Amino acid sequence: MDAIPLPSRPPDDTRPEGGPPALEVRGVSKAFGPVRALSNVSLSVPVGQIVGLLGPNGAGKSTMMKSVLGLLRPDVGEILLFGRNVREDPVGTKRQIGYVPESASLYEFLTGAEYLDFVADMYGLDPEARRARIPQFLTGFELAGHENTLISGYSQGMRQKVALIAALVHRPRLLVLDEPLNGLDPRSARVTKDLLKNLAVREGVGVLFSTHVLEIAEAICDRVVILNRGVVAASGTLSSLRDRAGLASSDLEEVFLALTGTGDLGEVVTALSH
Amino acid sequence: MDLHRVRRLTEVLVASQARSGRASSNPKSWYGRGWVIALIDAISFLAAFGATFAIVRSLPLTSTELTHAVDDAAPFVPLVAVATALVAGVMFELTATAKFSGSDAANWLPITPTEFVSASSAAVAYSYSPPVALFLGGLLAVALEAGVPGTFVLTAVLAFLALYEGGVLVEMVRAVSQRAGPSNTGRRGQLALLFRAVLLVVLILAFDLAFNPVFLLAFLRQFSTYEIITTAVPVFWSTQALFYWADGAYALAAGLAVGQVGFLAALVVLAGRLRRRLWVPLPGEARVEAAAPSAGHPILAGLGLSRAEAALVSKDLRGFVRRREMLPMLVVPVVLVVLMLVEGASLGALASVIWVGWVAGFFAFLLAVTSIGQERRALQSLFAFPITPRTILRAKFSSVLVPALIGSVVMAAAVGVLFRLGPGVVGGLVLLACAAAVILAWWGLAFAARYSDFQERPRPQYLRPGAMIVGTLSGMSVLFALLLPASVALFGSGAPVLLAALWAIGFSATVGAVARHWSRTGFDRLFRELPF
Repeated sequence: MDAIPLPSRPPDDTRPEGGPPALEVRGVSKAFGPVRALSNVSLSVPVGQIVGLLGPNGAGKSTMMKSVLGLLRPDVGEILLFGRNVREDPVGTKRQIGYVPESASLYEFLTGAEYLDFVADMYGLDPEARRARIPQFLTGFELAGHENTLISGYSQGMRQKVALIAALVHRPRLLVLDEPLNGLDPRSARVTKDLLKNLAVREGVGVLFSTHVLEIAEAICDRVVILNRGVVAASGTLSSLRDRAGLASSDLEEVFLALTGTGDLGEVVTALSH
Repeated sequence: MDLHRVRRLTEVLVASQARSGRASSNPKSWYGRGWVIALIDAISFLAAFGATFAIVRSLPLTSTELTHAVDDAAPFVPLVAVATALVAGVMFELTATAKFSGSDAANWLPITPTEFVSASSAAVAYSYSPPVALFLGGLLAVALEAGVPGTFVLTAVLAFLALYEGGVLVEMVRAVSQRAGPSNTGRRGQLALLFRAVLLVVLILAFDLAFNPVFLLAFLRQFSTYEIITTAVPVFWSTQALFYWADGAYALAAGLAVGQVGFLAALVVLAGRLRRRLWVPLPGEARVEAAAPSAGHPILAGLGLSRAEAALVSKDLRGFVRRREMLPMLVVPVVLVVLMLVEGASLGALASVIWVGWVAGFFAFLLAVTSIGQERRALQSLFAFPITPRTILRAKFSSVLVPALIGSVVMAAAVGVLFRLGPGVVGGLVLLACAAAVILAWWGLAFAARYSDFQERPRPQYLRPGAMIVGTLSGMSVLFALLLPASVALFGSGAPVLLAALWAIGFSATVGAVARHWSRTGFDRLFRELPF
């Protein structure tokens, strides 16, 4: 398993011990007209932890992530990044975040290399750093040899890899990843999962990670937050959620279905089979 | 050909067009339904009819004079209809991204190329019918008053055929342009992308000019007489049929009208074959020479842009020549320049100066109004990057101005050479063209910041249609208010020159400052929250 080697942090980098969490969401609500996408949602992503954001379709996961990024403005509540309100210094906080949207919209008329160079310019990455890091990521995600092809010619998986590299290239302190493994081949998915664990454990990066694949959440997340219809249905470690659902030896799928109040799936499957 | 399938596909394509705007994306809203275009047609027709009828009634015109007016105007309605569908179709129908070309339902549903062409042409014709309805409404008022309703009926039938013909031509351009990719020309690298851009512009230009009556007549009259041209060239058959009708030569008129139907049928068959032969769901992949990660953009940095601004400008300029959907935008100013060159000698120096300023301003406006919408869903990247709205505004303004100013200087120099103008006048002309470009760039950005359309749909638009109409009309009014006194200042003599120059400078400064302010507030508002 050839995971992407991580450059070590500079010596003057002081990771806060016992400091504020990487991300703290306090009582956030957001409505789109009559539709309440989020209602009084609170969650936190401690430094060096991977927090899985789970929920059925339309639960408000993407709205939550876009609010963290400042793409959407919460109607109520506040979002703190390392203790600082994102609305007070939006540019400064964005510099510390790496974001992979649910469906990565890349500039299709640029090549992969040109796009990553463009992203590096946006984050003010100096030429030396980008020369060191971009080829490293391209090789790690098996994009080397494709980097000079226009993105319009990429497969979905290749686009996702470019989006992932774009989120990682500036060495963010918080990663906000909306379904980051969509379309990835098994090797790249494994590289990504291992890389996220490494970044969290070794570099203290906080990760907010949304997925529908519960096995992935079970494998890499330290804690999970389950959103349902815009409210936090449950949050905590997997074992605490098992206890709460009264399913001590069940996997996350059973726990998820129990906590989100899903009805009798057997009946649905039987009806659809006819 | 399964007509039921064609009808259903037409309905879907029309609905797609009607719902392409952000505000009309709700399928339940009345303005998101296909029949809204028929409603606009009816309103346009009745409004034009009522207004013209009132005017005609108030004028002391005899029946003979009115008949002459109908006979003079009617033949041009089909020409206007072809040009409307073709120009609007090229501008707005060829802007689908490769992603949507690939996911076009016609690629995987059991629809034949001829069925797709028939349906899509009908959708284009229907979508861009309101201007023709406007003309026909006015014509009916005069025709009824003159007592020649038959002329109106024939004109209406031929105008509908012409609209459809314009739609079929758009489908031909669509099929051919989709094939004009670097993988299909056997070329690779940066030059291949430039080659593709030039090829596409030339291709669309050729179609535009070949069916542009003004250009075609001006060009062909160098070789033949008017009568021979209009009888021999199918594009003019509808026009000539109406002339024959006015002269009472009904058999000849009927013959040419039937010939027009036959020509249209032949075009549909040809367009179907072109699509079958040339359509590729996705253009082939293009590779660009390897380049090391950049150490910045020294030329753009030299213009005073920050690294992020320079990167944004560089990205936009690359997109300018690489994005197939942006290239139709380039054709319009090129057509205007070609028309100026064809008609140049008869226009004279003064009119050419106005023309240059107008093309410079219009080009900058087009680039500016499309500059935000062309980000599409990637706009959310701009939100996520650590940059401010003002950074994006400066970058967008710069990426509009770079090509617009280069074009302005080249055009001004060309007109100077063509009309042997003195260096002082050429200098003034360069300044005027640049001022027009700057003001209209701000004007366009102000509209783009407020009314851009970011939807990724099979038939997307960069700006909402209503805003495009209002923005264009107001922008063109601003341009003429600048260009008319400025041209007096350039070519006049005595006291009016000073007055005109002062007006032009004062007007430019005031309107430029207002438009800049609107752009800034618009960008601040736009980047407050993701609009989709």
